Amino acid sequence: MNDNTVFQSAAVPPAASAVAKADGDLVAARLSGLRATLTEMVKSGILHLTLDLADVRLIDSTGIGLLVAAHNSLHRAGGDFTVIHASKDILELFHSMRIHQHFTVSGD
Amino acid sequence: MRPHEWRRELPATLEAVEQFCAEFQGWRAETCAGLNAFAAELLLREALNNSVIHGCLGDARKRVSCSLRARPDRLVIAVRDEGQGFDWRSLWNRRGDPAEIHGRGIEILRRYANLVRFNRAGNSVTLIKRFEAKSI
Repeated sequence: MNDNTVFQSAAVPPAASAVAKADGDLVAARLSGLRATLTEMVKSGILHLTLDLADVRLIDSTGIGLLVAAHNSLHRAGGDFTVIHASKDILELFHSMRIHQHFTVSGD
Repeated sequence: MRPHEWRRELPATLEAVEQFCAEFQGWRAETCAGLNAFAAELLLREALNNSVIHGCLGDARKRVSCSLRARPDRLVIAVRDEGQGFDWRSLWNRRGDPAEIHGRGIEILRRYANLVRFNRAGNSVTLIKRFEAKSI
């Protein structure tokens, strides 16, 4: 089984911004790759991070926790975290967990 | 045709949960096609993850048993682990702070299942998810 991996696109202006794409479900057993990538991006000085969920079918409570942790780290540093291309099911989950009140989420 | 009842015993590892959930989607499609795939797998994962992470504390020597029963209008998921359980009553009405990293598992069970029932010790949970049966 592969960990979820992330493909980071070329940074978009300003230099402290980046878009990453999650490749696969964000579930407890598959988060180590994404966790390492997000941690590295925050450490490298990225302040405005967008995560593309177009290829994510399912996210569980552990996956939500990882996204919240990323948001918290960026927010403390003065940045922000955004999720794009979430499926209808994932958007409903985010809303039911009030995640949309914490950082910006948008659908397909 | 797969049986409408399916029992499986897993080692208490996230990798075993991952493999079982992949098999589950095939079983679900054959036995309760009217059930939302996302909601069904989310419930199963949360129940199993809770047993592996909190019940068995990731001890792969411990076992988690799972029973799935497909009925015409509902899926019954029962998960039991060899851990000592936890005080689910203290978490039952908790609405997690959106800034918290942990603590959403039980809220997800409550929101997505029609019925959630823990045993007294908290090492066994039964979930019922209702759905509209698809006519043939």
